[in-house]
Amino acid sequence: MLGIDDPQIWIAYLLCLLSAMGCILYGIIHWNDGKENEEGC
Amino acid sequence: MAVSTPILGIAVLIYMMAVSYLGWLGYKQTKNTEDFMVAGRKINPLVLALSYGATFISTSAIVGFGGYAGAFGMGVLWLVFMNIFVGIFIAFVVFGSRTRRMGVNLGAVTFPELIGRRFKSRFIQGFSGALITLVMPIYAGSVLIGGARFMETALNIDYNSAVLILAVIVAAYVITGGLIAVIYTDALQGALMFVGMTLLLVLTYAKLGGVMESHQALTNMAHLVPANLAAVGHTGWTSMPLFGSPTWWTLVSTIVLGVGIGVLAQPQLAVRFMTVKNTRSLKRAVLSGGPFIFMMAGVAYIVGALSNVYFLENRGMIALDAAGGNIDLIIPEYINSAMPEYFIIFFLLTLLAAAMSTLSSQFHTMGTAVGHDLYREFIMKGKAGKTVTITKLGIAVTIVASVALAYILPIGIIARATAIFFGLCAAAFLPMYTGALFWKRMNRQGAIASMLVGAFTSLFWLTFVHAKEASALGISKALFGMDTILTGTWTVVDPILIATPVAILTAIIVSLMTQPDPQEHIEHCFRSSATND
Repeated sequence: MLGIDDPQIWIAYLLCLLSAMGCILYGIIHWNDGKENEEGC
Repeated sequence: MAVSTPILGIAVLIYMMAVSYLGWLGYKQTKNTEDFMVAGRKINPLVLALSYGATFISTSAIVGFGGYAGAFGMGVLWLVFMNIFVGIFIAFVVFGSRTRRMGVNLGAVTFPELIGRRFKSRFIQGFSGALITLVMPIYAGSVLIGGARFMETALNIDYNSAVLILAVIVAAYVITGGLIAVIYTDALQGALMFVGMTLLLVLTYAKLGGVMESHQALTNMAHLVPANLAAVGHTGWTSMPLFGSPTWWTLVSTIVLGVGIGVLAQPQLAVRFMTVKNTRSLKRAVLSGGPFIFMMAGVAYIVGALSNVYFLENRGMIALDAAGGNIDLIIPEYINSAMPEYFIIFFLLTLLAAAMSTLSSQFHTMGTAVGHDLYREFIMKGKAGKTVTITKLGIAVTIVASVALAYILPIGIIARATAIFFGLCAAAFLPMYTGALFWKRMNRQGAIASMLVGAFTSLFWLTFVHAKEASALGISKALFGMDTILTGTWTVVDPILIATPVAILTAIIVSLMTQPDPQEHIEHCFRSSATND
């Protein structure tokens, strides 16, 4: 996979890419979550 | 590096002018204590993400860990995954939203103050402040040295002058503009770093014939691993080290777990969650934070490992040999030999930006720790001067201490500074911080016991057992005549794997054996408004 034989490395490589993409998706999905003016108290 | 000094000088000048402008903007917008300490709690999500990432990633993360990947291969990509998943996603979504809300509820303006007020303990605030004041200057000193070495070689100026110039410039905008100036300049530096590292990735893959091709070429080099590295578990640049070998333990315990988890309890990062106005901003920041870390750490490690292919094709040797055996020179040597001149200039600016962004946050955090947390709140019980004035004095004092350490400390300690700082934070702060946010039953006694046990177990392990720090410190040798008091695998097990579990157990046992904190106080800490979340 990807020119790398050891699954422990290509899995890490893919997880890096997938987690970065996951962050983008999460940000988009939750873009308008919550209230604009929450103060926390 | 071999680039035209006048062009580089002009580039650095333009960059410094932009930084000064943003520092001035921060100064203009700083009107009260909350502005100076937590940027008025109104920072934009993209600016937060860039600033958090730029602080997170220092020059040593790019050059030091990139060089480590050049020597030991792509196993360190597990750290990138941890950095994105734990350092961004878990940090912002799980820890960030609660930190922000509790910070507002308790009126806290620093990380030690948040914990101290949650457990109603000035001792916790003072001790945390003292720990940061004592250990962080070593970490800041190492970042300062990295930045100054860059200015020395790139601009042909004297190293001692470079240390002073760098410290004075950063000090000027941190002292006058507080956290707003820190965050604005960080965001510019983060944007520069992002462009620089993106170019580096594209140019490297293009030069080596493509993604698959370059990886395959690196995989085919496994037989070239030097015998001395193979003996400690190195199996190639696209495979994990031999399970249980010293190289495996260092990679998994110190680098992947130590740095990967330790980041959650870094005071200079945790305080950032208190700078936004709502949970929505933290969730939005995840969008840019994840890809940013990938483009920083991921690219540095991938390129570091792939530099072996370049050096084999062009010089018939592996990267470590091309860098004269010095891991820290692998990335500079690769950039200098393989990249076009315009990129070298840009990359040098990237490194300067990486050093300055980390340094500014360290100065701000150390200043607030010694001035506000330790002196004003703990020693003077909140009765001395104004927070901002005392903090500015604190920043000045810790900057002088960092500069002095940059001159005095032996190079061996400096190189271990990041690991020492991360390890201590993970053991002393992480269990207490996690309990403060997520476990209402955790009380003051449990928190104090956990912090003390974590800090001292970690210090003990660093001084007497973990070989890399113990031999650099030399205290064990002086007292017992041997570098470490235990032998074998123990000497490569990172303090985080020992001290953090001990601190967690202490927190649980002591909390359950003592009286809970008053219900009224707990409700005040955890309350959320009607408009919340």
